[in-house]
Amino acid sequence: MFNKIAIRYKLIILLGLSGGFALLISSLIMVYSTYLNQSKSSMQVLHQLTDVISDNMRAALAFGDANSASSILASLQANPHILLAIATDSSGQVLGEYRSQQLPAARAQAHKQALAQILDEQPDALQQAGQFIQRIQPDWMGVAKPILFEGQAIGSLAILSDTREIWDQFRRFVLMQVIASGLTVILLLFLSLKFQAVFTRPILNLIDGMRTVAQTKNYRTVLESGHQDEFKHLYDVFNSMLIDIQERDERLFKLATTDALTGLTNRHHAMELLGSMVARARRTSQPFGLIMVDLDFFKKINDTYGHQAGDLVLQETAKVLRSSARDYDLVARFGGEEFLIACDNASLDTCITVVERIQQGLASCNIEYAPERSLKVTASLGVYSSTNQPANTPIAAMLSAADAALYRAKDAGRNTYRVA
Amino acid sequence: MMLLVPAAHANTDAETRLTAVFLGRFASYVDWPPAERAHFVITVLGDNPFGALLDELYRNKHIQGKPVELHYAQTLKQIGPTDILFINLHSASGRLAAIQFAHQHGALSISESRGFADSGGIIQLNVVEQKPQIKINYAAAVASGLKIGSPLLSIATVLRKDQP
Repeated sequence: MFNKIAIRYKLIILLGLSGGFALLISSLIMVYSTYLNQSKSSMQVLHQLTDVISDNMRAALAFGDANSASSILASLQANPHILLAIATDSSGQVLGEYRSQQLPAARAQAHKQALAQILDEQPDALQQAGQFIQRIQPDWMGVAKPILFEGQAIGSLAILSDTREIWDQFRRFVLMQVIASGLTVILLLFLSLKFQAVFTRPILNLIDGMRTVAQTKNYRTVLESGHQDEFKHLYDVFNSMLIDIQERDERLFKLATTDALTGLTNRHHAMELLGSMVARARRTSQPFGLIMVDLDFFKKINDTYGHQAGDLVLQETAKVLRSSARDYDLVARFGGEEFLIACDNASLDTCITVVERIQQGLASCNIEYAPERSLKVTASLGVYSSTNQPANTPIAAMLSAADAALYRAKDAGRNTYRVA
Repeated sequence: MMLLVPAAHANTDAETRLTAVFLGRFASYVDWPPAERAHFVITVLGDNPFGALLDELYRNKHIQGKPVELHYAQTLKQIGPTDILFINLHSASGRLAAIQFAHQHGALSISESRGFADSGGIIQLNVVEQKPQIKINYAAAVASGLKIGSPLLSIATVLRKDQP
């Protein structure tokens, strides 16, 4: 399921979850810390209140004055959080008691029983200065301290307060925390939307680049990365791969389009190029010419001097043809000892000029097939010119015409040319 | 002058014990003028209602930082320097004389007699059904050079005007 989600959404989820978890943990710690602080603070207030009331209560307790004791405790009504206060003498008899009007009698009784149980469990806990008992329950918290007279306990005072204030403050804090957390999560999501682009943009750009290369087959493309991190490495690797593909393509193209022995365009590719050249010539109404070249007595050269010498003859002939043709002419090995030169934008005169350069080139070329042994070759040539020919003459017809002219040259004794 | 009358009823043992305890506790809320006595003296004038109770309660005890010394007297002439004078005399004239004596010697006068505080005595203590009723003649205390602490005043009925 997760693997089907786009990277950008994974990043948003990841960033959001990371931030959310960090926020949750910090919130829990803060909430717990706040609860502890609130409890501690409230308990401290209760301790202070108990100390003050104990001081005021001492004389009443010393003289067993229940009215004064109750009167002193009645002052606690100023604090709405105080639920119950009980002053007892040294024999455990209640001397004074205060009960908040907000505290129902049944609950007051339950609190008293709980208090009595706590005091019974620790009978010696309220006998000396500095001793106290404190409890925090879900709905109340209380402190009990001894009341001392001349260093001796003459009774005790227990004050219970509600925990409303704690919970109210706690609830307010939690609400604030929830609101703050919500806003932070929204901010985190917003930032995640922005920051995910930092990671996904280079990947998406790379994907776009790869798609473009796949569509155009333009392996010379170089993808640029503004990064200096792993993304740059990824781009570099991809660009390197493109270069490898391009070089491989070029090798394959060369193998597919050139003649391995002479380096000239092979017949298959020559036919493709010829189609383009003829189409362009027709479109531009420019003259066009074909020269078919066939070495004279090549079989005899092979038989006499060997195939290596034959290959050398073919290579040297190719050089002569290439140097004789113009730079933009097509020079191809058409098969065996037969060559084709396609002269773009060439009149018949231009074609004949090229033919004569070939003849001169071959005549002046000594082919050294062995040390201090050389030979010369001649060629017969057939020339086809589009001048004065139908504009829509098929290529095959052009070639046939050139070929026919070549054989007429052969028939005429070789080492000459004929025009179709 | 108001008539001084004895306590309306006889105290129970518990009430007598409370009175004995309270004698010492009063001292915690009263400041005496500096005296060179080495002991804190409590004197019972008249019939001793406590028996041996005071000795039991205050033996080896300290009040105001001094060891407690108990004296028992039947007449004023038998009274030496004292910090607390508990007056348990049946005659009104005797009590008035004792009040006068205490006033002159800077002693804290205490009695269970009705009208004691109104007659110039400093503390009138009545324990009824184990509930103390304290009446303090503040003016008399001031006139005797004594300072009574506010916690004690807060639980007592206080007479602030000078009484005859």
